[in-house]
Amino acid sequence: MSSNKLGLVFFPAFDWAISPTHPEREERLLYTRDQIVEEGLLDMPSIREYKPKIATYQDIERVHFGVPDISSLITDAHLVSAGGAIAAADAVMRREVNRSFALVRPPGHHAMRVVHGTRGFCTINIEAIMVEYLRKVYGIRKVAIVDTDVHHGDGTQDIFYHDPDTLFISFHQDGRTLYPGTGFTDEMGSPMALGSTINLPLPPGTTDEGLHQVLDHLIMPVLADFQPDIIINSAGQDNHYSDPLANMAITAQGYASLADKLKADIAVLEGGYSIEEALPYVNVGIILAMAGLDYSKVIEPDIHKCPSQSSSVTRYIDELIKERQGMWAMKEKLRQEALAKAGDFWQRTRTIYYDEQGIDERQIEMVRLCPKCSGYLTIGTEAQGPGFGFKSAFAAVISREACPHCRQTAVDAVHKAKKQGKYQHYFVQNKYEDIFEKL
Amino acid sequence: MLLGLDVGGTFTDGAVLQSGKVISVVKTPTTHGNLLEGILRAIDHVVAEVGSKDFTRIALSTTIVTNALVEKKMDAVGLCIIPGPGMNITSALPVEPYILSGYIDHRGHEVAAPKPEEVIAACQQFARYDVFAISGKFSVRNPHYERQVAQWVKRQVNPKHITVGSAVAGTLNFLRRTNSAYYNAAVWRRFNEFANSVELVLQAREIFSPVYVLKADGGTLPLSVAREYPVEAIFTGPAASVLGIMAMNPTSVPTVSVDIGGTTTDIALWQNGIPLFAEGGASVDGFATALRSFRLHSLGLGGDSFVRREDGILKVGPMRLGPAMAVGGTQPTVTDAMVVAGIIDFGNRQLAVDAMEKVAIAGQTPAEVATNVLKEVIAILSHGIGDMLTEQATRPVYRVEDIVHGTKISVQKVIGVGGAATGIVPMLAKHLGLSYEIPRQGMVANAIGAAVARSTVDITLRADTTEGYYTVAELGIKNKIPRHNFVLADAYQLAEKHLAELAMIRGIELGEIEMIHSEEFNIIRGFSTIGKIITCRLQIKPGVLMGFKEEM
Repeated sequence: MSSNKLGLVFFPAFDWAISPTHPEREERLLYTRDQIVEEGLLDMPSIREYKPKIATYQDIERVHFGVPDISSLITDAHLVSAGGAIAAADAVMRREVNRSFALVRPPGHHAMRVVHGTRGFCTINIEAIMVEYLRKVYGIRKVAIVDTDVHHGDGTQDIFYHDPDTLFISFHQDGRTLYPGTGFTDEMGSPMALGSTINLPLPPGTTDEGLHQVLDHLIMPVLADFQPDIIINSAGQDNHYSDPLANMAITAQGYASLADKLKADIAVLEGGYSIEEALPYVNVGIILAMAGLDYSKVIEPDIHKCPSQSSSVTRYIDELIKERQGMWAMKEKLRQEALAKAGDFWQRTRTIYYDEQGIDERQIEMVRLCPKCSGYLTIGTEAQGPGFGFKSAFAAVISREACPHCRQTAVDAVHKAKKQGKYQHYFVQNKYEDIFEKL
Repeated sequence: MLLGLDVGGTFTDGAVLQSGKVISVVKTPTTHGNLLEGILRAIDHVVAEVGSKDFTRIALSTTIVTNALVEKKMDAVGLCIIPGPGMNITSALPVEPYILSGYIDHRGHEVAAPKPEEVIAACQQFARYDVFAISGKFSVRNPHYERQVAQWVKRQVNPKHITVGSAVAGTLNFLRRTNSAYYNAAVWRRFNEFANSVELVLQAREIFSPVYVLKADGGTLPLSVAREYPVEAIFTGPAASVLGIMAMNPTSVPTVSVDIGGTTTDIALWQNGIPLFAEGGASVDGFATALRSFRLHSLGLGGDSFVRREDGILKVGPMRLGPAMAVGGTQPTVTDAMVVAGIIDFGNRQLAVDAMEKVAIAGQTPAEVATNVLKEVIAILSHGIGDMLTEQATRPVYRVEDIVHGTKISVQKVIGVGGAATGIVPMLAKHLGLSYEIPRQGMVANAIGAAVARSTVDITLRADTTEGYYTVAELGIKNKIPRHNFVLADAYQLAEKHLAELAMIRGIELGEIEMIHSEEFNIIRGFSTIGKIITCRLQIKPGVLMGFKEEM
């Protein structure tokens, strides 16, 4: 094996779209394909192309609850895209390559644990499915996910919000100015995992300079401190200055040098909708950087259109870095305080909006903060929307290292809810035994 | 009356076909110093045998280009590239290129023009070179810059030959096109010298038949056209034998063919009656090119493969140390094992028995050793076929439907040609649980293949209705789209017309046309469809001019 070999799972899903004129449509990776093929990247000895696998429902249900079930909510394309991420993971874990990039669609980082439909173009969370696969098949424990999409990775955050073994770092355009409107600094994880979610909302107009400020002074030191077994990059590309859905000013060089510094073991494509001006160059840049090849010549033909960063943005980012550095240094203390305050259970009630179908979901999450183990989680969900009707479910998640008592209590909770009959569907996701049950 | 000639590493083979029958064959040693000598000997032999020089066509498969590569007898090429932004490909090219500025983007837009002063500087650097190659990124989307630079070079130094990338291949892959253009220019002079002498000697013998050259994709080119595209004449030996199989044993079921020679075995997979093509193109001298060729898997295994024991374990090949002991060789070979096992009758049986005794362990009879050798041969072959099938099944595809339905081939039949096929193929087929065929003229399948190979050519038409034009790189054209609501069917018709045009320029008869690739994408900006990008790649179907009957 060469010292720098990249596994590339390229799956443009040329026959799949959410709808004919939707940004997630057949054409999205066409120009990227043209650029990759024309460059001759697939013929480079340091790049090996892999075919995606087809993810199984077991892979998906290690992460998600589909209401009433996953299979009625997704298409074959989702199985292939999640399978693409899994193939990328296998290539690295079998040491056939040093790192890998799943350049696949449809994307996944807005898909949360409970799935009623599609949000932010995502139905199932392909990174999260890959992470749980890595844990199950290869025994990986500590995972760091760095989400570099312009939109807050709210789905990934949701799925790992109670997991201290998963460090989730997302930088994104400030939620006050962009979908999904979350990802603020105070979203830090539930008490047991406090501090393992780090949100870095950046102001519109942030350039390569601002991005690398954050990377060099916060993300890289935090990663070094966390010492993950594996680093995953949710490699959205819509921070690009030409993206039609956002207002940032990152270039292909900015993204490529990010990939070079981050040295993610596995990168997975997320968003990016400047399909002609950005994606061909950003993807070539990332591929070259991950393969250890020279990316210095990957420059957009219209680079003169990229604005420069204002001094107020630079100051804002400096402040943000300082503040989050402080939080990271104090996280153990904050965690102990939060646990003491919460007592036996931590609870939150939320509404979640599915923009694709106009569904409103109300969720009650209850986390058992067990002093002996990693506890369990129960979720009650009710969703309704025009043309969607009403769907509800109650579920329990038994964590990988739950103690016998927590395991039993979690199952009892679902049986009890079923007896009361307030919900339509009842599930147990037992990560301890790797079983998914519908009761 | 068709004459086919195949110059191989060991033998120069010839075959004459008339009305679907082989009426003459010849096998004569290849004359390595001067290939033409052996070619002439073969021609003289068949002319004498059939009593006529009146060939409808002479098709030649030679090692002239391959030898130029192997012997490093290539010309220095003034390679000028227009890479624009992207990967630095310099390290992936066989020589250091001169890098010109200028850029065509993925839609074919002219983003930045090349600079004449840079071209002049390149010409000064390459002042002593006779041949040039010019290749630009996305030149297949818009050949303008490549052609302009070629014109400037011509005006500046007027070299003997200039190859442009978009003329060698119309498909995407700047790296492969650049390598193709480089090798084409590098072998141009040597091939043309060979072509000159072929024409001279045929004239001297008063043979006035048109001469064609076989290509790696099993098609043929008129010699006059091959002079401009000499690199196409590389790797034609295996292609010739594949064509021979097509002529002798047309097969429509998924098939694996094995051409077992003295030193190597070439494996090909067949679907719908034709062999699969190499993805992207052939690899030349370790460099990826855009040359269309059959996808062949070569194994170092043949009748002359060396048989020995290493640490007590029986080993076969990949090296050859000489002929079989049965015909006077010094070391045991696969052929000796076949003789001892009684599946062929060849040379001196006692010498073959001696060969098997040399590798027998205590208590083993020569027959037992022979059986073990053949088992090992079958194992190597099965493994090679398995690798090829796995490669096919794991080949990346880009549509959901192709993943869900898979691209696996379930092979049903084995076809064997080449010197050692008769003995080995029945055992291989039995091992794989498949049926088999061994064409009777399998020993000269290559020459028969050359004789009957059809002429082929392919073009890629790409239309961008938003931009309002289409390109056909192989013809160097960029034209306005002739009508509104232009769809794939229109693109097909237009491509057909241009394919006919290109066929005429190349002196090729327009045979059956097939679409080898098509794509149609809506271009959407904002939330409305503003046009289509259509790609349509057509070829004159490779194949054989006439079938061939076994009786003769």
